Amino acid sequence: MQNHDPDAELVRLAQAGDSRAFEALVVKYQRRIARHVARYLRSAADVEDAVQEVFLRVYRGLGGFRGESIFYTWLYRIATNVALRHVARLSADVSLTDENSEERELAFEPGVTDGALPERTVMAEQIGATVQKALSKLRPQLAQALMLYETENKSYAEIAEMLEIPVGTVRTWIFRARESIAKRLEPVLRAQRSERW
Amino acid sequence: MSLKVSRLLDGDLTSHETLDALNSVTSDANERDRVTVYTLIGDALRGNSTPDDGYTKRIMERIKREG
Repeated sequence: MQNHDPDAELVRLAQAGDSRAFEALVVKYQRRIARHVARYLRSAADVEDAVQEVFLRVYRGLGGFRGESIFYTWLYRIATNVALRHVARLSADVSLTDENSEERELAFEPGVTDGALPERTVMAEQIGATVQKALSKLRPQLAQALMLYETENKSYAEIAEMLEIPVGTVRTWIFRARESIAKRLEPVLRAQRSERW
Repeated sequence: MSLKVSRLLDGDLTSHETLDALNSVTSDANERDRVTVYTLIGDALRGNSTPDDGYTKRIMERIKREG
């Protein structure tokens, strides 16, 4: 488990007014926050609105973030609060406008949908399948280093210790793994490149 | 340079190197693209491969409007 905040430097720069650093944090976490918020909200529009509000609150509150927790824990907590407020507001709206509000309210369960549009779902499946296929084509050491980092939340130092290799090798293997997968993803992503950050 | 982008996302850079990486990301579309793609790869490995679809752009636009 990583015990230092990997975002500390980007947060410090964002706190000092570097909008590029803040944008990098948005790029890094928007998908994770969208998935978290989608556990509470049913429509894609509500999810996106909530995600925007989360990052707006983070932006406004960044000056008060003292690093008592890691940045992602703080971000996640804000996302939960925003999502719950959206749920409460939407439930209230339904109660005020719908004669069958009781029935609708019972049906309003968090996590009913992931908030994704059909075309996004198809694209997501293509991306997921391509990444998995690309992972299977990697040299096993590269795949292992990347998976330990991305899914087991291990730090470079921990991976180095586990695989008995220098830290410098870990960072190179992780980079090479990402680069190899990125090349295989390129054709899938080409269609929407103009929309990306 | 993409090695530095990879390390930027992992918090493996010094202050000076982080600024240098952000400068590259800002001035080089390919490096910028790498930030998005490397992030997507990590999320996909955790089971979330939803495309960006302009999400980040709209978040930043709202922050510019209301932040």
